[in-house]
Amino acid sequence: MKTGQLRKTTQTEPGTLLAGALALLVHIVFIVLLIFGFDWKAQPPEGMVVDLWQDLPQPIQQPVQQPVVKDTPPPSPAQPKQQPKPVPQPQSEPRPTPVNGTPAPPKKPDIELKDKTEKPKPVKEDNKQALEEQKRKDQEKAAREKAAAEQLQREQEALKKQAQDEQKRREQEEQKKREQEEQKKRELEEQKKREREEQQKKEIEAQKKREQEEKARLEAQQAAAAAARAQIASEIGKYKAMILAKIKSRIVMPPDLPGNPVAEFNVTLLPGGDILDVRLRKSSGYPAFDSAVERAILLSKPLPLPPDPALFNEFRNLHVIVHYLE
Amino acid sequence: MNTTVTEDLSLFYLISSASVFVQLVMLMLLLASLLSWWYIFRKSFVLRDAVKQSDEFEDNFWRGADLNALYQRATSSRYASSSMERIFVAGFSEFSKHTPGTDIDMIMDSTRRAMQATYQREMDRLETHLSFLATVGSVSPYIGLLGTVWGIMNSFRSLSNVAQATIAHVAPGIAEALIATAMGLFAAIPAVIAYNRYVSDTEKLATRFESFMEELSNVLQRRAAD
Repeated sequence: MKTGQLRKTTQTEPGTLLAGALALLVHIVFIVLLIFGFDWKAQPPEGMVVDLWQDLPQPIQQPVQQPVVKDTPPPSPAQPKQQPKPVPQPQSEPRPTPVNGTPAPPKKPDIELKDKTEKPKPVKEDNKQALEEQKRKDQEKAAREKAAAEQLQREQEALKKQAQDEQKRREQEEQKKREQEEQKKRELEEQKKREREEQQKKEIEAQKKREQEEKARLEAQQAAAAAARAQIASEIGKYKAMILAKIKSRIVMPPDLPGNPVAEFNVTLLPGGDILDVRLRKSSGYPAFDSAVERAILLSKPLPLPPDPALFNEFRNLHVIVHYLE
Repeated sequence: MNTTVTEDLSLFYLISSASVFVQLVMLMLLLASLLSWWYIFRKSFVLRDAVKQSDEFEDNFWRGADLNALYQRATSSRYASSSMERIFVAGFSEFSKHTPGTDIDMIMDSTRRAMQATYQREMDRLETHLSFLATVGSVSPYIGLLGTVWGIMNSFRSLSNVAQATIAHVAPGIAEALIATAMGLFAAIPAVIAYNRYVSDTEKLATRFESFMEELSNVLQRRAAD
């Protein structure tokens, strides 16, 4: 009983509906933010067309030539309108014939055609006069047509000639243009060449100048280096003399040694003048003198060293030579 | 010819033009997100109430209120009892069932067991749906990623039929596919945050209940000894 009651109370949870509403609200807010807070329209950049011309005159010439060839046919369809009656059928035939130079062929079909169409009439009337009239008319017509054809031919020729002239003129113009451009190009190239040469000359001069400057600088440097070296050498000599003097001042000379014995030592120094190691390099023959010198070297530490630490390398391994007699 | 003067890449267009698989993934993620937010709010209410009621009850209890009065108030049907009260009721009723003559240790053992059982039930109640939040938090990014990979695969496959491939051919496909990832992350991030928060809250409540149980058994033991 009691547990059942307890379970019942556990199952009633507060704010289930409210939680659902809030969850929905969160999503709606998010979607609204997505839709209005974000620019979903993608605008592609406007396209740009670029034609690359390597040589200007030639591409223009070809398109011009083609229209000239095509232009010749159009005048012929325009021609029939000017002519009074000629039937369109024969009209198409006369055009090729002028090329042959014989105007006769077009006549025959014309007459035959006319005969076919007009014969029924004279048969009915049976009139010679009418026939003659007809003949005369036909002749006149033929003459007229012939004249027309000739005119047509003439006009076409004139047109052709005109077109040819036009083309020739255009070609000449283009030729001129091309020549001018070539001239210009050549001039430009020459100018460029000249400029290049000048540039080269200038560069060479600059190079020379630079080399000279470099040389001068090197020389100056060498002189400076030599001076520095000389100074360093003098400095080193000075300090070596000082070291030797200090050592000598500490030597307690053993008395009455015959001759002038010489003791040579290798002394290893530490920066600051301390002595790391003293080794006998060449004995003087008198152990008393050798030991006196060694003791003096050990006593005279710190040895005087130049203040410039760069010079220490010269003193790292010192070669000390001590004569018994000065 | 020029189909894309201004390409409409609105959210609805992108979703509706996605492949069926990607749409399914998106639907799944939307449902997961809705559910997880629902649970987030429910849990937040439940935990807030639990903390508040525990505060009140402990306040009453330590102010020296009569245990019988507290018991009666907690068991009255009108009153919606809190977790801590239920633990108290379980322990106290078990304690009062024994006649004064019985051994104190036995009484205390059974009392403790009754409280432990109620405590476990209460903890179970507080922890429901937390596993769902954890699942959404860890899995929905992968589901979104799956949708994205699928969409990108499709858009690249359609690219192979085009002689001159430009970014404009793949961009809408990739955008629509990436929406899946965005949705996955949108579902996962709040779920993970809420899960961590609620786990720490329930653990705090659990330690409170446990210490209350110990203190109550002390009080009851003293009462039994009297």
